Amino acid sequence: MLTRIAGGHVIDPANQRDARGDVWIRDGRIVDAANARADATYDATGKIVMAGAIDIHSHIAGWNVNTARLLLPEYHSAAMVRPSETPLSRKGWSTFETGRLYAIMGFTTVVEPAVSPHYALHAHLELGDTPIIDKATLVVLGNDNYLLQLLHDNESEAAIEDYVAWTLDMSRSLGIKVVNAGGAAAFKDDIRAFSFDDVVPAYGVTSRRIVKALQGAVNRLGVPHPLHVHCNNLGLAGNFETALTTIAAAEELPLHLAHLQFYGYGKEGDRKFSSAAPQLAEAVNRKANVTIDVGQVMFGQTVTISADVLRQFNARTHARPKKWLILDGDANGAGIVPYEYRRKDFYNAVQWATGLELFLLINDPWRVFFTTDHPNGAPFTSYPDIFALLMSRDLRAKWIAELPPEAMAATTLPSITREYSLYEIATMTRAAPAKLLGLTERGHLGNGAVADVVVYEDSPDRARMFRAAALVFKDGDLVVRDGHVVNDRWGRTLAVAPERDRATDGRMKDYYEERYGLSDEFLKVPDYALQRPEPFEFVPCR
Amino acid sequence: MERAWILGRPAALDAAVAEAGKLIAASTNILIAGLGTDVAGARAAIALAQRTGAVVDHMRSEAVLRDLDVMRSSGVMMTTPTECHVRADTLLLVGPLRGAVRDQLLQNVIGNRQPKESAPRRVIWLCAGRDLPPLAETIAATPVGRGLDDLPVLLATLRAQVAARPTVKTGVSSKMLQEVSATLKQTRFGTAVWSGAELDPLAIEMLCGLVNDLNATTRFSGLPLAPNANAIGVMQVCGWTTGFPMRTSFGRAFSQHDPWLFDGHRLVTSGEVDCVVWISAYGDEIPPWRKAPPTIALTAQDVALDAPVQVHIAVGSPGIDHSAVQYFAATGTLAAFEATRPSETISVAAAIERIVAAMPERGAH
Repeated sequence: MLTRIAGGHVIDPANQRDARGDVWIRDGRIVDAANARADATYDATGKIVMAGAIDIHSHIAGWNVNTARLLLPEYHSAAMVRPSETPLSRKGWSTFETGRLYAIMGFTTVVEPAVSPHYALHAHLELGDTPIIDKATLVVLGNDNYLLQLLHDNESEAAIEDYVAWTLDMSRSLGIKVVNAGGAAAFKDDIRAFSFDDVVPAYGVTSRRIVKALQGAVNRLGVPHPLHVHCNNLGLAGNFETALTTIAAAEELPLHLAHLQFYGYGKEGDRKFSSAAPQLAEAVNRKANVTIDVGQVMFGQTVTISADVLRQFNARTHARPKKWLILDGDANGAGIVPYEYRRKDFYNAVQWATGLELFLLINDPWRVFFTTDHPNGAPFTSYPDIFALLMSRDLRAKWIAELPPEAMAATTLPSITREYSLYEIATMTRAAPAKLLGLTERGHLGNGAVADVVVYEDSPDRARMFRAAALVFKDGDLVVRDGHVVNDRWGRTLAVAPERDRATDGRMKDYYEERYGLSDEFLKVPDYALQRPEPFEFVPCR
Repeated sequence: MERAWILGRPAALDAAVAEAGKLIAASTNILIAGLGTDVAGARAAIALAQRTGAVVDHMRSEAVLRDLDVMRSSGVMMTTPTECHVRADTLLLVGPLRGAVRDQLLQNVIGNRQPKESAPRRVIWLCAGRDLPPLAETIAATPVGRGLDDLPVLLATLRAQVAARPTVKTGVSSKMLQEVSATLKQTRFGTAVWSGAELDPLAIEMLCGLVNDLNATTRFSGLPLAPNANAIGVMQVCGWTTGFPMRTSFGRAFSQHDPWLFDGHRLVTSGEVDCVVWISAYGDEIPPWRKAPPTIALTAQDVALDAPVQVHIAVGSPGIDHSAVQYFAATGTLAAFEATRPSETISVAAAIERIVAAMPERGAH
């Protein structure tokens, strides 16, 4: 079956393509087939053609997300027949709707970035029930007893690598994330504030040492995605210095900083809260081995879901509405705290501006990634509105005019004139994430790529354009037409399995017996449990 | 090995499945209850409910929803059985902790496998009733209060004392209560343990409030013990497939959750449903109501029903006859269990899939 998407404006930054032309698909792959006879042709004249978008950081599945669902029954359309203010889920906050809503916007691969090893099977069960899109998980280390004990005992780099590789394999993950390294472990000993050079009392190791150990291990194992870091001190005034310290600590190895907006706060002004995005952007611009995603805030009701239990514990008193759950988990734990970002709230308006400043002040669209840290800054359904804001200074000016002037004065956003081009949007949401995650067959439209292709109307209303694609192909199958799902197929979950010394398996078995009196069998994610034909696809390590 | 009955008479599985499909297709208000099944069975049952506009409820919903109601109306601090095992230096046991949760208490919370490095534990047991003396050799606990009737005032008093607020006299000596609240405050990492099956939601809320208040000056967390019949596993599946826990209806075009409206027992006794699918693969639970509309029962093997039902199919035990994913009380997570004694006995998921395949097409509803 040869499919031709004919005559569209093809924007494919990975292949430096930005011109009118055709895209050909055969057996689920992009092919070079100029002048061949197509079995099916889709006219894309006057439309925009891009690869399927990739979201590198969106909390869509697992125990934390599901607990948020159970905590907030009132946010479903099902609880309110005609919801006007329920952006989390216009049609119900299920895995099924998550997959469909992403596909409608032209996203074909999404990474759930915070899976605790003990809950890996749960996360994969939910991802297995998330249709159309492909998925991946990042597994969280850095507050777990085993790693901290290795560091405390000054064990070898090889021992840490083996443990990291074992964890990736057991949890079927694509990469490693560290969340407030050491902070959750310190919180168990009643520590309430924890910075990069603070020491976890029970182990005598600093956050810095944990981050450096994991960064090095991930790099040496050849895992394509660099260590994904959720820094200490999220959300606190003055925390841009924590982010600067962490960026400096990257030295010359790759490091990814998640949702940098939440670390973009200075202490200027009467309220001792201001945007420090310019300083952060400058630091990122200078450091080519560092990548970041933004974690943009948008106004409205949402819920914050985080493995940063210390942060969420401290934030629970700000819950809107007033209910929350804190889990003192086996390693990181979790916190679920509902929150409403309000236009009239000084702090929320500064947060909104800080995120946009980071997008607009970081020069290289290959190193700044498009996220809202869904649902923490905003639900993923708000992406189209953010694309529109990035692409139009006039639209930003309209928003700014309606926000508290003193908040806007605490940022540089009103003075920024940059507008993203469609080419830059495609870089940021397609080419760059594929490169960051090591997905060489995705994020582009070159010969041999996975045929994840999106056709958008070229509407001047960019939010409208990105909200509902005209056509979406997943693995070459048409899945969305005119903004409606036409084919609920099942995707795969991407994972890596770096080499390890197999003696690690025996050591881990003994560890679980010793520490918990349990077999480590419960950690496994066997294919049979997921009940999908091919649940996993393995991505090669370097 | 297949065993099935139609109206109490042995039947071939195919015939039973066809009869069940016909009955479901001919019914308008269907209740899928019991729901004692693994993750695959729950997914299949919910898919059937979505297809037929049915209500889903679980035999242990009452207990699950008590804990859930507290969570979704206030704040809750929780920990895992494994973290409690390695870290808790004080256990605050609340209520008699009888029945299904007693094993969890003994195996996962008390256990005899306390890790080497942890400090000796203090155990305080509020309102153990008559259950403590026989367990005295296993659990060296300080008993406080007698029956559950004492609990509300004891919790309120402890919470007030922890917050340094004035208290009134209770049935327990104030010296003892002061010692208890002092112990709770001096703990390094305490865990309160209870069962939603035994406590009133207001008592659970007061207990969770006490735990939260203790975190002003130390670390304390909660550990609700799970009901049996994979109740927590089924709740999780309901959560990701519908956004809601059990007691959810698909009678309209969207899923709708209401703990009273979609209480299976209420629906049956009020005559609001015309067909019941009763699922119980774990134990010998049979439908708890006397008079029921036409019923399809998927039960564990060798379970005798009180009276013949339209269709009865014996299903395999999850994790024994067939591999299964289910809630694992030792870790508080979903875990996969390979079949320990694989057999041909049909699983709940497979039985439902067969029934769906046998359903005659029906018009849009």
